[in-house]
Amino acid sequence: MITVRLEPENRELTFERVRTVMQLLHKVERKPGRALVIREGQLLTPDLNLRDNDIVVVRDVGSRG
Amino acid sequence: MKCTRCKIPAVVALPSHHAAFCRDCFLLFARRLVERAIEEHQMFTAEDRILVAISGGKDSLALSWQLKELGYNIAGLHIDLGIPESSPIARQYSERFCATRGIPLHVLDMAAEGLAMCEVKRRARRPICSVCGQTKRYFFNKFAMENGFTVLATGHNLDDETSRLLANIMRWDVEFLSDQGPVMPAQNGFAKKVKPLFRMSEFETANLCFLAGIDYGYAPCPYSSKASFPVYKNLLAELEDRQPGRKIHFYDGFLKRGQGGFTAQGEKDALVQPCQRCGYPTSAGECGVCRLKDLMGVTP
Repeated sequence: MITVRLEPENRELTFERVRTVMQLLHKVERKPGRALVIREGQLLTPDLNLRDNDIVVVRDVGSRG
Repeated sequence: MKCTRCKIPAVVALPSHHAAFCRDCFLLFARRLVERAIEEHQMFTAEDRILVAISGGKDSLALSWQLKELGYNIAGLHIDLGIPESSPIARQYSERFCATRGIPLHVLDMAAEGLAMCEVKRRARRPICSVCGQTKRYFFNKFAMENGFTVLATGHNLDDETSRLLANIMRWDVEFLSDQGPVMPAQNGFAKKVKPLFRMSEFETANLCFLAGIDYGYAPCPYSSKASFPVYKNLLAELEDRQPGRKIHFYDGFLKRGQGGFTAQGEKDALVQPCQRCGYPTSAGECGVCRLKDLMGVTP
């Protein structure tokens, strides 16, 4: 299971059977060039694999005024 | 994915540049984008006194950090807009960033001017984003002119610039198209204005902040939901997803091949004179901020 915290809204979601960062972005309806994906304080590129029990932050980059 | 330059594992993928970078190579890449913008458009030199408009968001903090890293003589100006939901947070991030990075910061408080935006919103008959933008431009320019700054730098990024360009094209706004660009020269009472991040996307400035350890504010303006630029920004983001690199080609192409066609017409339309009351440049008899002060009952 992967735990995802969406920022800036601070919403938390969990997903089963998500293997890559790209798949995770698809699940949370984000595009690679519009969000940072962070695990254990490190940025992840879309091709990387995720591990079971990972806790990942998906941070939108779009400014909203 | 490997870093395009040094071949160690990458942390940032940039399809629009057909590249991926590790931390150090990304910071070098970002630095070069800013240096290229400054040099190509002769924005400023080491001799200039640069006032950076600091909102507390990622772009203005990334810009301040990068200019400080490059050794330029900068100071920040933060305008506290007096919006209870977002202004205290924005001010806190701005003050903390500048204190830790050794950047002098000036703060102008709109509530003290009688122009707190939460009050202005209740009385103004125009869209609040328009009034707020005009007020910020007025005070940034006034502060720069009165305090000996030779350049005013803002954190407008590639997404800001392309969405504004698309919006201006959709209206065929010749006057705005004629003067849109990364540099506005000093003239008619306006300080020189520059946008050194115009080659960097929002994604790139967000990565820069993360990798440089810059803590920025997320609190969005509660009034911004009705602004029109996000619509154009999202359209262009969709296009960029399908055709990486489209945004920078759109903007570069406009600067190199498009803008010249609008300049002559724009010059005819723009008649700028000093405001009869405060001397600020305006195309009306009295500037928008003097009229706003009247509306808000602010005595000169």
